[in-house]
Amino acid sequence: MNNNDFDSGEPLPLNPAAVPRTVSQKAAALKARLAKILAASGTGTAQPDDRPSHFTLGIDRIDTALRGNAGVNGLPRSALHELHAQSKDHRTSAAAMALLLAQRCRALQADRKPILWISESGEARRQGRLYPPGLAELGIDPSAILHVDAPDSIAALRAAADGVRSSAMSAVIVELAGKKPKGLDLTATRRLSLSAQKAGVLGLLLRCGSDADNPLPTAAFSRWQVAAAPSLALEANAPGHPAFDITLLRHRSGLYGLSARLEWNRDEQAFRELPSEQGTPHAGAVPALAGVRADHPGMRAA
Amino acid sequence: MVIMAADRQAVSLGLGPGMKLADARARVPDLLAFDHDPRADAHLLARLAEACERYTPMVAVEPPDALILDITGAVHFHASEDALAQDAEDRLDAAGYGAGWALAGTADAALALARHGLKEGAEAQLPVAALAMDDKTHQSLERAGLYRIGDLAERPRANLAARFGAELTLRLDRILGLEDRPIDPLRRVGNIVTERRFAEPLTHVDAALECLSELFAEAAERLNQRGQGARMVRMLLFRCDGDIARLGLETGAPTRDAALFQRLLRERIDALNDPLNPGFGYDLIRLSIVATEPLAPQQLRLAGGEDRQEDEVALVSQLSTRLGRERVQKFAPADSHIPEQGLLALPALSAPAPVAWQMQPPGDPPLRPLHMFDPPQRVQVIAEVPDGPPHRFTWRRKAHQVIRYEGPERIASEWWQRKDGQQPGNGGLTRDYYRVEDARGRRYWLFRHGLYGEEKANPDWYVHGLFA
Repeated sequence: MNNNDFDSGEPLPLNPAAVPRTVSQKAAALKARLAKILAASGTGTAQPDDRPSHFTLGIDRIDTALRGNAGVNGLPRSALHELHAQSKDHRTSAAAMALLLAQRCRALQADRKPILWISESGEARRQGRLYPPGLAELGIDPSAILHVDAPDSIAALRAAADGVRSSAMSAVIVELAGKKPKGLDLTATRRLSLSAQKAGVLGLLLRCGSDADNPLPTAAFSRWQVAAAPSLALEANAPGHPAFDITLLRHRSGLYGLSARLEWNRDEQAFRELPSEQGTPHAGAVPALAGVRADHPGMRAA
Repeated sequence: MVIMAADRQAVSLGLGPGMKLADARARVPDLLAFDHDPRADAHLLARLAEACERYTPMVAVEPPDALILDITGAVHFHASEDALAQDAEDRLDAAGYGAGWALAGTADAALALARHGLKEGAEAQLPVAALAMDDKTHQSLERAGLYRIGDLAERPRANLAARFGAELTLRLDRILGLEDRPIDPLRRVGNIVTERRFAEPLTHVDAALECLSELFAEAAERLNQRGQGARMVRMLLFRCDGDIARLGLETGAPTRDAALFQRLLRERIDALNDPLNPGFGYDLIRLSIVATEPLAPQQLRLAGGEDRQEDEVALVSQLSTRLGRERVQKFAPADSHIPEQGLLALPALSAPAPVAWQMQPPGDPPLRPLHMFDPPQRVQVIAEVPDGPPHRFTWRRKAHQVIRYEGPERIASEWWQRKDGQQPGNGGLTRDYYRVEDARGRRYWLFRHGLYGEEKANPDWYVHGLFA
């Protein structure tokens, strides 16, 4: 504990009337400290406006489970989150999930800032590029997307750092491919995470083709795995609305093991939970033991 | 083969342009001859023209061997016009080029004087060849006893025009300074030009950048008076050995913000392929605002807080400066029903106001994929003939079992774009699109290229996109 917080170095007051002043100072110092702790947990960040600090998926079970020790439903809006495609085949689902989360977050704002989408040009050429009419089909206005075609992962991360810092965007999504994208390390993600917190921007790191056993350590607030799920068939056995299987791999509050099958409803701009194939949906979040990191391999296997 | 040009030594030996190479070899057996390369000459001349921009922004190239500098109002850094010309000659001499020059009221007069080694005021002594008409005219003029421009000047114009054509009197008037012609300078001058000259050349890049920021602040002051903001800025750094570094900046919206300029400049410098090399130092730095747009003076918001519009423009400008303007894009719909042509990715710097996209009617699942392959990728499909849906397909060496499908959505080719497209068989291949879902829940957009039997005997299948 930092004593300087309330010990201002003045000589001790002799007058008993001055004692309440010290008490109030102490209270102020404690409040400041609490604010600091809350800020670190992504809850009480000083917001430039009165927008909610968290965004939700629109499913009560998951949103409440995501409270952690923050006390607010959902995920913090001013933070970096990580989405991993389960395998290369699920890249489109992960991309859609990132865009939809950004869209939900954007919908909270009155001024509707744009979304910055950063991808590597080589990967986009090989694996398919973002198709704006498809965005419109998901309920995202394509003219709200600022698309950056970065030549490599380092340039992509730099562009993301700028985007997160500027507070002109509601969300910044950076898509990186491969097991070990160049330039992606703890420092880079820490930088993104801090800037996101400061500027009130949602940062989403989209990883495709990452190694499931050895995801690189990052400073992200949460890490999710996304996969495509069979949709609810429409009339005449037509493929239905987009469906996703999501799994929470780690969370700063120590949650893990949360998984769900979601369906995106474009008209309500919200997710809906579908029954999972295994039968009942997962029991929900289990808080990790204090002092045990949620990304500990043994814990994650649960 | 004929000699096109000769150096000083060759001229002193009596060789010169127009002489046959064989004759010249007979006189000087150890002559060094090189092939004439007009493009290299033109290139060199253009580089010299750029170097001459230190004197005036109005520099025009006059092929094959001349430069015209409009120094009107540009001599205040030199003692006189002659001193300026002498300075140019000295610099060219130091770089190894011999140059003849002349000053005159009109471009043509100066050109004629310089080409014939005369100085201002000696127009009358120029030979008639200075008119640069064809040889036949020159000969007939000389046959008429008119050897010098002075002889012609006294003649009545009407008679000359009747005998030799109006072209001759026009050229004569231009040489005599009675008529002027506009020159075509190398580049358009910016609206606002600010520059700094240094007695002691700047040898540090940082100092030069600092100077550019100051110049921009000066220019911004003037822009502010006009109610304009800069969209495009061009900067020239003249090195004292004649090399020029040029930098350009473009912003997403008109700006007068010096801090933004500084940030963009740093991005620009970082993005340079070969870094700035001050060498022996810069002795002149110039900044011109090439493109402007109206920008009303803005009032800050009383409550404070960030200005979103401003922030977005700054971000777009910064990213475009670093990555190139083509890499930062905004999407706009295009008027085509061919899926891959239905969109435009425009540079965000110059993107027009956002257009409303057609949003889908409620209830439908997404009918267009989120990721698209352009060009589409070939897949092996097992489907019923003639127009059944796909049952299985193999893509990237993996087999996929189709569980659900919807289709076909038939998209015809743009037959009106083709020659005789209205005739059967000439309109291009029709595509039948299917939305399919495989056993693991992944959704694909497949199409059959061509109608079975009618357009193609054995149509190919392609995957065109992936759904979420």
